[in-house]
Amino acid sequence: MALAGTAAAFSLIATGCSSGDGDGGGAESAEPIASDAFDEAMSTPTELTFWTWVPDIENEIALFEEAYPAMDVTVENVGQGLEHYQKLRSALESGEGAPDVAQIEYMYIPTFNLTNSLLDLSQFGARDLGGDYVEWVWNQVANDAGVWAIPQDTGPMGNLYREDILAEAGLDAAPETYDEYAEAAQLVKDETGSYISNLAANEPVQLIALLWQAGIDPFGYDGAETVSIDVSSAEVKEIVQYWQDLVQADLVSTDAGWTDNWFQNIANGNYAGWLVPAWGPIFLQGTAEGTAGKWRAAPLPQWDAANPVSGNWGGSSNAVLATSENPIAAYELARWINYEPEPTTMFATEQFLYPALTSLLEDPEYADQPVEFFGGQEVNAEFAEISATVDPTFEWLPFMEYVLSSYNETVGAAWEKKGDAVGALDVWQQELVDYATEQGFTVE
Amino acid sequence: MTATMSAGGQASAAGLHRPRPTRHRRGRDRSTALSIVVWALALYFLLPLVWLAIASTKNTGDLFSTFGYWFGDSFALWDNIQSVFAYKGGIFGRWALNTLLYAGVSAVGASFLATMAGYGFAKYRFPGSTAMFSIVLGAIMIPLTALALPTYLLFSSAGLTNTVWAIIVPSLVSPFGVFLMRVYAADSVPDSLIEAARVDGAGEFRTFFQVSFRLMVPGFITVLLFALVATWNNYFLPLIMLNSSDLYPLTVGLAQMQSAGTSGGGGEVLFSTVITGSFISIVPLIVAFLFLQRYWQSGLSAGSVKG
Amino acid sequence: MAVTTVSSAESPAAPPSSRRAPRRGHRGHPFAGFLFVVPFMVLFIAMIIVPLGYAAYLSLFENKLIGGTSFVGLKNFAEALTDEAFLGGVGRMGLFLVIQVPIMLFLALFLALAIDSGRTRAARSARLLAFMPYAVPGVVATLMWGYLYGPDFGPITQAFEALGLQPPDLLGTSSILGSMMNIVTWEYVGYNMIIMYAALRAIPTELYEAAAIDGASRIRIALSIKIPAIKPAIMLTVIFSVIGTFQLFNEPALLDAIAPVVITNGFTPNFYAYNVAFVNQDVNYAAAIAFLLGLVIAVLSYVVQLSSQRAERKVRR
Repeated sequence: MALAGTAAAFSLIATGCSSGDGDGGGAESAEPIASDAFDEAMSTPTELTFWTWVPDIENEIALFEEAYPAMDVTVENVGQGLEHYQKLRSALESGEGAPDVAQIEYMYIPTFNLTNSLLDLSQFGARDLGGDYVEWVWNQVANDAGVWAIPQDTGPMGNLYREDILAEAGLDAAPETYDEYAEAAQLVKDETGSYISNLAANEPVQLIALLWQAGIDPFGYDGAETVSIDVSSAEVKEIVQYWQDLVQADLVSTDAGWTDNWFQNIANGNYAGWLVPAWGPIFLQGTAEGTAGKWRAAPLPQWDAANPVSGNWGGSSNAVLATSENPIAAYELARWINYEPEPTTMFATEQFLYPALTSLLEDPEYADQPVEFFGGQEVNAEFAEISATVDPTFEWLPFMEYVLSSYNETVGAAWEKKGDAVGALDVWQQELVDYATEQGFTVE
Repeated sequence: MTATMSAGGQASAAGLHRPRPTRHRRGRDRSTALSIVVWALALYFLLPLVWLAIASTKNTGDLFSTFGYWFGDSFALWDNIQSVFAYKGGIFGRWALNTLLYAGVSAVGASFLATMAGYGFAKYRFPGSTAMFSIVLGAIMIPLTALALPTYLLFSSAGLTNTVWAIIVPSLVSPFGVFLMRVYAADSVPDSLIEAARVDGAGEFRTFFQVSFRLMVPGFITVLLFALVATWNNYFLPLIMLNSSDLYPLTVGLAQMQSAGTSGGGGEVLFSTVITGSFISIVPLIVAFLFLQRYWQSGLSAGSVKG
Repeated sequence: MAVTTVSSAESPAAPPSSRRAPRRGHRGHPFAGFLFVVPFMVLFIAMIIVPLGYAAYLSLFENKLIGGTSFVGLKNFAEALTDEAFLGGVGRMGLFLVIQVPIMLFLALFLALAIDSGRTRAARSARLLAFMPYAVPGVVATLMWGYLYGPDFGPITQAFEALGLQPPDLLGTSSILGSMMNIVTWEYVGYNMIIMYAALRAIPTELYEAAAIDGASRIRIALSIKIPAIKPAIMLTVIFSVIGTFQLFNEPALLDAIAPVVITNGFTPNFYAYNVAFVNQDVNYAAAIAFLLGLVIAVLSYVVQLSSQRAERKVRR
């Protein structure tokens, strides 16, 4: 039944297919794919390769294979983060061994688009799915030229904090503004010896998300040869100066994230909180089991309390690579696991990926579920509210690997030494402009 | 290599390979001070491995909370071993087999090729032989990892990346092995023996396989061990060549397991599994080393002195 | 880089043994010797000469994300010679060379002499223990030491805390190079020791028994008879260490996971070449770096040999 249902839905969508003038489209895009082409593709025994780091994604794949018995999906984990993209890039360059479908974080979509590596999914009618996803998320995967991936999960930023430690410092709620946050940091340090949070020196994306929250988009890319880079503007410096003051007053630590040291500090309460997206709880629940029940979730502190806003950190999508020999089946895999109710619910409830689908976010069964780890708080609903406040437009540069690694060498190194991060922004800016110019871009 | 080899020549002229099994009058004139210093050093080599052994009996909680050089509250070795072998559907065993395959095939192939070439250089003179040998000698100094990058690019344009060949073929070339075997062949295979075989009407290759090779076995094994360790320990080459986790050797697999816990996007923390996996992966090697140790020496005492 | 070594191998001081060896055998079948060498040489050319040539070729081009590939001559080399990241890595390896390599080789030589002297208790076991780390893959060794250095459950920290002392930050910016030197020393002392020990065992006893009868002290025998006798083996370890040092990759690559900001992209030249190729996606520049790196190593190895040769000549005079 599932098969027939989706096939019908597909053809419905496919007939309403947009013109799809993207690079990946080719000759096919002119003609919508007919229902029988879809049926044929999905009933022909096909082997698909899927590169992803999401743990236990095999479960969702199993559902997909159940719905389409002719499909045989091989899941490969080639590493996480940078390693994944490096492998992907080398496979694409050698023209050999690239997967059909790949996990891609939103910020990397322009990077892979630059090399025409992603298939334009609007030819299959993907544009019509847009309305069902959160607006800012859809803006990340789709532009005027095409639809480049199907959103899987998102990372609206909030503030996870230890209620008990804040209470010990005499605070009965999370700070609402950044001024309050700085005062609270002093109190927490004085009363409990803990840091109010850790700004990981090696997490450029956390800082970028905080810029996003403040309405600053330092990057721009016109989809062709022109980029804009402004990571050392007065606005950016103001934000970084705020954090630098806290760091230099020893109120916020800058330990590298995801190391055993960092996990340990979370587990033993050295950090009283963590400015982190909705996926943060996964990491807490695994390693900080002993602190279950003591955590709470709140929105980020605000610059303007009257106008609460947030940014996004992480989350990812599934893209079909232009080199795929089975584009229809690959698209259906990406669409099916990220759009159909059964797999998307499973992602949200078993892998704790924060959903990108509006329907799921509004589903009371999901949103109003009390979470023990957070002392019975309805965390999902809290983050659903935050998700609605994420600034809907944010652009990236088409060479994010370099952007991030260059951050670590400059600003990150300054954080590590608790030194002049504000000054390091100028160096970062210079490195990015130099790189972009060297690579032939026009920098605005 | 000039200096080293010329000096080696002298040592050789002085008459080298006589074993001296009973040179030391055992039990007498032992120095306590010397023993203490040597054993302090030996402990430096041992203690990290002891820590690894103890740490692999702990669960993640104990790892963080108990003293490193004593056992934790729970004895989790078996659980850890289980979780190592259960990791991603038992892929650890696969990695171990891959490592065996890559190291075994490369080492046997490399030492065989090196033995043949070393013998050829030592016992024959043919047009270009000195030039060729000199180039091989020079290649000992080329950093192999610096070659890995262009090799990768070549392989990738030939569509050979992500195959077992991408690991095995580059590992078959051991210039140092050729050098070692040339020295070894020159010393261990008397020309008169080859001459005698020739008089008997044996072909050159038959002579090599039936007469000469036997005499070169200790050197062969030394080169084999060098090549084995080199491939077993290789990380850079498989890291860039391979994409499928099914093809990974242990080194790349373990490093990936480690990094799975250390980056964003939904990984789990696997400290105890990584530690136990590391421990399991070195146990067979250490055992093999203890048994094969004398072979390192026997081949080297010929090669290195003159090296 | 082959050229320099060719000329050195063919210099007047060329080994007597190499002249002696091919003297007789070639009489029978000149072609047979060639056949013995061919299988190796084919692979040698395919896996070493061709990639080397390819690297040289690649290094003359430039590939832009926008605009594609173009010939730029030696621009990449010129750039590398003023590239702070590359020079910084080379400088760091220079430190390795003057600090870590001597320590490692001294320890190896000391152990080899001590064990060979027969004056150490349970010398055989000590020798095995010292050699054991060589069996541990660099990846595992680095992972393990990473944990040992750990600021939390690392036993070094625990020991300091138990003694009431401030534990050192072994993974900080100022200490990471030293920590890395320690890992490499731990891994390779035993390996170098075995090479030297094997050479010591091959010294004919007569050489120093006479000296012992004359009443020379053991230390004197070690210094003036044994060490000179195994000089070739020591030179071999020096050259291998030079090569090994400039190839360091596993250690920075794995420590990068636990000390991410401390390990910079250019921490070692080889790690830099990797990052340039795979992060910056600049294969051409990476090829130039790899090529320069090979050149640095070849020059250094040559200098090492030359200086030892000169020292030898002095002694002979």
